[in-house]
Amino acid sequence: MALDPASPQAIYLQVGVGSFTADYCGGTSYPPLHATPNCGPAYGGGTPQNNATVNSVSATVAAAAVGNSTAQAMTTNSTATNSFLDGYLFCSVPAQLYIGGFYRTTGAATAAAQVTVTVPSALTNSAGNSIPFSKIQWTSSGNGDTGAEPFPAGTFINGGVQTIGSMASNTWNESCWTFSYLNNTVPPAGTYTGVVLYTMTTP
Amino acid sequence: MSAAHLRPFFLALALTIIWASTAQAKSITIDDSGSQALAPSVAMRWKTAAPARSAADNVMLGTTTIRVRINVMPWLRHSGRIYLALPAQQPGPIGLSWITQGRLLPGQVRSGNRVLVYAGPITTPFMEDTLTFEFSVAGSLMQRAVPVTYHFEMDED
Repeated sequence: MALDPASPQAIYLQVGVGSFTADYCGGTSYPPLHATPNCGPAYGGGTPQNNATVNSVSATVAAAAVGNSTAQAMTTNSTATNSFLDGYLFCSVPAQLYIGGFYRTTGAATAAAQVTVTVPSALTNSAGNSIPFSKIQWTSSGNGDTGAEPFPAGTFINGGVQTIGSMASNTWNESCWTFSYLNNTVPPAGTYTGVVLYTMTTP
Repeated sequence: MSAAHLRPFFLALALTIIWASTAQAKSITIDDSGSQALAPSVAMRWKTAAPARSAADNVMLGTTTIRVRINVMPWLRHSGRIYLALPAQQPGPIGLSWITQGRLLPGQVRSGNRVLVYAGPITTPFMEDTLTFEFSVAGSLMQRAVPVTYHFEMDED
């Protein structure tokens, strides 16, 4: 007879809203440390699901404030506030965007999975004007968090792929991002949009 | 205290040790070649789909069914105690729990140990039961498929 790891690998990346059948609620503390009304069956944990929602982060700059170098807070339409890890109220919306996930693999700890973002060179409007993506930055935190965040603060690059965090194997990682627009140039009036794509790559 | 006074004490101690040794039950591995696993390999899956914040809770579980048929003819019309033994083996610590149909006792054991599954008279040449095994192993140890062995032991009364 042999023991065969039949489903050894799994990855989950959530940026904005995500889906789980129930909270994980496991870990080393039973019962879990936080109020967990949505624990998976018998604390056996929930199962990640696919969620195709693309959330947005935006800011509207008053005409009088355009280009005054006062960073403009951006807000998200994401409603993700509670961690699927344990149901804990981790992020605050609309100010913060949830980012988290895990990388499951068997065997000894491996190199971390890398999380990257593919960034266009600029946000553009219908008239073809642009704002460099590097005018958008973010800070990182999370309710109750201390120490370094798995997805630290950063600033978008102007086109390309940049690493924005990593996940050690078989650990849950999560942060809350607060975006802001630097507002230190005066672009033509308009609505500027751009789409970034977050990718998780396992070793 | 003189050496002469110590001598009887050492003698008594030695006798006690010898007596204890001869009184230990003799364990004999039982022929279970008639047993049959319904599947040759046990598919190990994560206990939980998601990991904890730290890498501390990453257990894999696997279930299989065994039709146990052990040859107890050598002990027929005697009494004995039968144990399920899970030897220490690769890839490391293994947990095994099982339920039965009633002929043998349910239980659980960690590798390197054994657990009583029957005690009493041996009235038939073979003892049969269907056991549902659940193995548990740390995912960090499960790089690839690994053989696992167990056996039944008889302690004669």
